[in-house]
Amino acid sequence: MSNNSKKWFSLNLGRKEKTSSGSCSCGKTSGGCGGHSNAHQMTDEAFNEAAINASIGEERTKDGFEQVFDVKMDRRSAFKKLTASLLIGAGAVSTSCSVISGDESKEKAQIDWEEQFKGNYKLMTDKEKEGTVDRLVRSYQLRTGKNISMSSKNAEEDVLFGYAFNISKCQGYMDCVNACVEENNQDRNSEMQYIRIHEMKDGKGFNFNEADDNYYHEVPAQGHFYMGTQCFHCDNPPCVEVCPVQATWREDDGLVVVDYDWCVGCRYCMAACPYDGRRFNWSKPEVPEAEINHNQHYLGNRMRKKGVMEKCTFCVQRSRAGKNPACVEACPTGARIFGNLLDPDSTIRWVLENKKVFRLKEDLGTEPKFWYFMD
Amino acid sequence: MKNNINIMNKIVCFSFFLLAFVSCKHHENEYHSVTDKIEAESKDYHGTSMSSEAYLSEIKTIEITEGEHTFLIPERKSQIKSYACTECHSKPLAQMKSKDLKKAHWDIKMDHANANTMNCVTCHNPDNMDDLKSLTGHAIDFNTSYNLCNQCHTKQFEDWKGGAHGKRIGGWAPPRASMTCVNCHDPHKPHFESRWPARFNTQKEKERK
Repeated sequence: MSNNSKKWFSLNLGRKEKTSSGSCSCGKTSGGCGGHSNAHQMTDEAFNEAAINASIGEERTKDGFEQVFDVKMDRRSAFKKLTASLLIGAGAVSTSCSVISGDESKEKAQIDWEEQFKGNYKLMTDKEKEGTVDRLVRSYQLRTGKNISMSSKNAEEDVLFGYAFNISKCQGYMDCVNACVEENNQDRNSEMQYIRIHEMKDGKGFNFNEADDNYYHEVPAQGHFYMGTQCFHCDNPPCVEVCPVQATWREDDGLVVVDYDWCVGCRYCMAACPYDGRRFNWSKPEVPEAEINHNQHYLGNRMRKKGVMEKCTFCVQRSRAGKNPACVEACPTGARIFGNLLDPDSTIRWVLENKKVFRLKEDLGTEPKFWYFMD
Repeated sequence: MKNNINIMNKIVCFSFFLLAFVSCKHHENEYHSVTDKIEAESKDYHGTSMSSEAYLSEIKTIEITEGEHTFLIPERKSQIKSYACTECHSKPLAQMKSKDLKKAHWDIKMDHANANTMNCVTCHNPDNMDDLKSLTGHAIDFNTSYNLCNQCHTKQFEDWKGGAHGKRIGGWAPPRASMTCVNCHDPHKPHFESRWPARFNTQKEKERK
């Protein structure tokens, strides 16, 4: 291992910037590539150790490489799990061995390798977070030639985000939905939307069975009222409880976030959420290059891949910079109020203390931080 | 034998007692509800390093204090194209209504309350067009025109001061800047127009068929 502080084995593909440590000396014709065999040694060691004293309970404190390899399993399933990693390794090795492949493709292979073996974002140190963000930015640059900015900003102290929705103000224009899709780089093909605006009949109360969340006629329609739902960022989120790989969690500022690179796509969280707040990428999300929002956050609107969950993050890339989420900014009626629940002088606190507020399915104990109120 | 059972009983009781203390200490149950948590954790709130000042730099704002609330609202006079009004309104209104003068304000159709309650001079001062006037005849500056609205819309005014009515500008972080009444409502026609939704989800429609 070239770097002791890393939690996973690093490849050195003999790129110009780094001095060669000889781990991949492809001048040799016999014995294959050093980098490849080295990778095998690592996994064998990890495997042997795992067979003796692995236990699943330790997974909570383990990170990255250890969480994948340091568990009890038979040889067959172990090899199955290794296949994907080895494919990337093989790719990396073939690139490094190739005489004609340029420095860029070597760098690309190196980034792919490092990204494959990085740990869960939740357990990363700030330096590791910066590392993965830098790699993703560079990888995007190598692939598309375009620059993006990606943040790994952590939760601010003394901040707990909360949201209030004024039912009597919402007119059902859906400008919020538009803004959300554009801000968060959601898949255009499947028309994924985090926000749903429900058209409800006057006099029927909150009857979601009879409500229409996909209307297209002039609004506000006579005899109807409108209300929006999205991820409520519960303080006691059931989606987090059920995630088998801890790819989703509650941040200190109350945001419930997903590490798209750690998510295995089992959709347990989707089933656990009582508010239909989560969305799944059934196909590879595609956004036209010109429409991509380049101001990104690792936990927010960076490009997702096929087979992972995503959801509203209260626009973490905006809210952690002091801005309002895109839906709040887009709403022409001022029905959406966002702010810091811990600030006694904030407008959201005034709403909670002075208006008659309620939340959906309060009896479930999920403690959503999304309140509804009326004038 | 009896002694042994007694000791066993004591051990069992003691371990139950211990368990009750140890196992029920879940961190997440520290507060009964999120409202309790907000109340407790905001007691020693000292502010954050966040500021939305940068997002307000593009608009001209003025600071107002109403009751216990102090916040920013957009400056208005520089946004009214035909201000100052006295640039045209140099003569009393009666003289300006004559036919040989150029027509003005033809695009304004009053749709605010009814003719019984309101007309132009309910808010505009025919003697000094550069200011508005209250119901009792006091001058109201165009920049603080909310003072005109709050004569009738008292409930909305309370909500606006607190932040439940009216849109925030910039970001959630302090300083607070809110739209004032006339930034969203046309004072001559204050209701929101009905229109078509911004989008329709065709995929959702297909899935549900």
